[in-house]
Amino acid sequence: MRSISSPASIVALPEDRPALRYLAKVRWLMLLVALALAGAGLATIHSASSELSVDYMPRQAVWVALGLIAFLVGFGVDYLRLAKFALPIYVAALGLLTLVLLFGQEVGGARSWLGFGSWRLQPSELAKVATVLLLARYLAASNRRVLELKEVGVAALIAGVPMLLVALSPDLGSAAMFAPMLLGMLLLTGVSRRLLVIGALTAALFAAGAWNLVLLDYQKDRVRTYLAPGSDPLGDGYQLRQSKIAVGSGQLAGRGYGQGTQSQLRFLPARHTDFIFAVLAEEWGFLGVSGILFLFGAYILNGARVATRARDRTGILLVVGLLSVFTAHVIYNTAMVVGLVPITGIPLPFLSYGGSFLLANFFATGLILGVDFRRYVNR
Amino acid sequence: MATHVREHRDNLVQRLPVLQVALVAMLVLVGGSYWFVQVVHGDYYRTLAEDNRLRNLPIEAPRGLIHDRHGRRLVENVPSYNLMIDLTRADDSDESLRFAAGTLGRPEAELQALLERPNRAAPFKPVLVAEDLSLAQVAHFNAVALEHPEFEIDVRHVRLYRNGPITAHVLGYLGEVAEAELAAPDSPYAAGDLVGRRGVERRYDLHLRGENGEQVVTVDSRGRLRAKSGRRAARPGRRLDLTLDLELQQAAAMYFEDKVGSAVVLDPDSGEVLTLVSAPYYDPNIFARRLDSEQWRQLIEAPNDPLQNRALQNTYPPGSVFKIVVAVAGLSERVVQPSETVFCNGATKIYNRRFRCWRRAGHGRVNLREAIKESCDIYFYFLGQKLGIERLADYSRRFGLGAPSGLDVGGEKPGLVPDPEWSLRERGDRWYPGETISVAIGQGPLLVTSLQVATLMATVVNGGQRVVPHLSREQALPAVDSGLDPDALAQVREALRAVVEERATGAAARVPGLTVGGKTGTAQVIRQKTWVDSKDLPYEKRDHAWFASFAADDRRRLVAVVFVEHGGKGSTTAAPLAKLLYEIYFQPGIDRSAA
Repeated sequence: MRSISSPASIVALPEDRPALRYLAKVRWLMLLVALALAGAGLATIHSASSELSVDYMPRQAVWVALGLIAFLVGFGVDYLRLAKFALPIYVAALGLLTLVLLFGQEVGGARSWLGFGSWRLQPSELAKVATVLLLARYLAASNRRVLELKEVGVAALIAGVPMLLVALSPDLGSAAMFAPMLLGMLLLTGVSRRLLVIGALTAALFAAGAWNLVLLDYQKDRVRTYLAPGSDPLGDGYQLRQSKIAVGSGQLAGRGYGQGTQSQLRFLPARHTDFIFAVLAEEWGFLGVSGILFLFGAYILNGARVATRARDRTGILLVVGLLSVFTAHVIYNTAMVVGLVPITGIPLPFLSYGGSFLLANFFATGLILGVDFRRYVNR
Repeated sequence: MATHVREHRDNLVQRLPVLQVALVAMLVLVGGSYWFVQVVHGDYYRTLAEDNRLRNLPIEAPRGLIHDRHGRRLVENVPSYNLMIDLTRADDSDESLRFAAGTLGRPEAELQALLERPNRAAPFKPVLVAEDLSLAQVAHFNAVALEHPEFEIDVRHVRLYRNGPITAHVLGYLGEVAEAELAAPDSPYAAGDLVGRRGVERRYDLHLRGENGEQVVTVDSRGRLRAKSGRRAARPGRRLDLTLDLELQQAAAMYFEDKVGSAVVLDPDSGEVLTLVSAPYYDPNIFARRLDSEQWRQLIEAPNDPLQNRALQNTYPPGSVFKIVVAVAGLSERVVQPSETVFCNGATKIYNRRFRCWRRAGHGRVNLREAIKESCDIYFYFLGQKLGIERLADYSRRFGLGAPSGLDVGGEKPGLVPDPEWSLRERGDRWYPGETISVAIGQGPLLVTSLQVATLMATVVNGGQRVVPHLSREQALPAVDSGLDPDALAQVREALRAVVEERATGAAARVPGLTVGGKTGTAQVIRQKTWVDSKDLPYEKRDHAWFASFAADDRRRLVAVVFVEHGGKGSTTAAPLAKLLYEIYFQPGIDRSAA
């Protein structure tokens, strides 16, 4: 049994690498689930690409291969060592976000990409991981059962700054994902009831203010379309309607792979990216939908299992933070495709076409399983 | 120390299950939504998906062609190319519109106006931008299809009336089906259909229109055709053969180029209408395109209402033409002998009122034949007085006055045959005997159409059979026996021949080699207190001129009625057209009665 090197510090500093025999104890099932989801994504992207200028499936396959490397990186790096550098990493991410605001490439109305020749990177994905890391380190340091107001404020600031920068780009969807991250991690660390009520009220006020100050016209339109789908039949209303038709017409068993008329006859826009789940729902039916949702559930519960048996607060908070962001993406995207929430550019993890996001998710999976791998080190 | 750390760790782990449950609950909630949309409402969305991709494209059925009695084509179907724009494919609709306006050489505002017509039913469907493109313009738009994928050329067949205004009132035209017609139960029409408006096109719409076929196709979101499935062939419309004689129609129309009025030519034995002209006329071909409000305003505000078919829809007093009816009634009722005479000194007093003859100097002593030939008013005043209004009304009706003649295309006014009962009912006043005297020379409340006068004349010519006039050769109805005395009719016919052939008022209609008879008439526009020659009056106060006539050779006979509004004297303004028509019809060596 090893003891903590410094009682004042909760951040345990491992001195040994975990023995390789512990590899067998890692929750590999989680990686398998991720790969299964990515596989379903590849198949659906191929089907959705039939009417596009290129087949995006081979490109995505390359991204999946790169994603495995990202996984290994996340798995290999010691999260506690990484947490030590959380602040510089966070600052670097903020720097990239600022860079994007100033020099970024505009795609789909938002300036959220950094271009390096033919390579493009979405720094907001990196910023999410960096923010989770810094939050985990900061909240882990708290030694109270319930967080102090000041601590909550600092945590909100840590999440708020990158959130604001992403929102300015303006990519409200990605920005919004910082909220469940913060919420999940705060709830886990412990927040007083009084603070919860105040937080809820502040959020409501902020939402009202955002409608008037922050939201651009096209963003307001999206919300309006969501509230009254018939109001904009050629724009977002069209997207929403076609998506619902695609989902609904899949019925129980689906129309068959490559047989979805909504996707094959180009009725459904953004079908290989944000609306990939509509294609899947149309062609594979409710059976396919429940299968994929089951896999997402399995991923999340496996992650939660890793959190449960992690040995230190940093590990737990890191895993929960990453899982919160992941789940928020899954819930929001699937809810958006079926018309429950307004349309905004939030991709579906592992399934939507897109490199940065896929790499980020594999890297996060690596970090989570890395926490699992290192759970015996602290004994 | 270790316990302290462990405690802190446990704090977190204790809260984990709550988060887990919340996350899984949300996933289940989303799954439930999918269950609802896919399984509970799946059929509904499946239908919407099918509606998205399946289109029933109509296969246009060609409308039946219309021919005259000699097989000459009066109308044909010609393709019309319309420019459509698919707004979902246009990057900048203003820019597209500018391009189209420039290419067509039409003002942008005109295209904009068409574009702005709302089409809420189908917001994704291409919208009409410009109609009636030339082939060169169509080729131009095809050539730029790659740069301007938003444009489409839509081909639709429209009617081309070869003779334009000349056959306008007979044929009518087509117009888009109205909401009310669509709403009617068992309506044979679909939205956007062209249906006959007025004339033959309207009356025989169901005969002429075929049944559109249908092609079921699968299209993508841009409406591009991907696959064809079911197909129902179109049934073309049927051909329609008219009794009209294009040459006679043309001659009559030309004659009316600078006049207002109508002309009707009938075969007195079959009721076939060979000519039906109403002037002024309009060009029905303007209805093949969408009328703008300016064109429509010009048409309805034009003097003398060109859209009106004056041969059927305008009624006038018959004037002296009515003396035919009075003469037949007098002879049949034996209230007068052919040899009996009346002395005319230009005026007479009946019921304490002065009645004038049109001829101031009087006609002297005249019998029936001479009274008809000279159109002596005094003779007919006395004959009318002897017959009385009841018998005058009875004989008028036997000749078909006071009721539509039954022309197949319909739209006729019944005219008016007055009698005491009518007077009480409609005027709330009794019938005055003096009115009978006016009716005896075709004035007073009596009103007829030129078509009725033509059937009247046919009944005189064929010996008492009241034929039903018709324009379709398949629509011949049996004639009605008027019960009129054939001898009386024969005597009147002989007198009418004298009107033309013995240098009386109908002399202008004389054609050597033919037996021609007729009666002029004047319908007074203003009541004249003194004798004034109509041509000294301003146009709108001049009398209307009638000429009702017939002609025959040894094999065929024909009736021609010419009516010229404000024409003054029928002898000079109406009779010459009858002569022209007979010359064409009875041209030696050409049998115009055969079809």
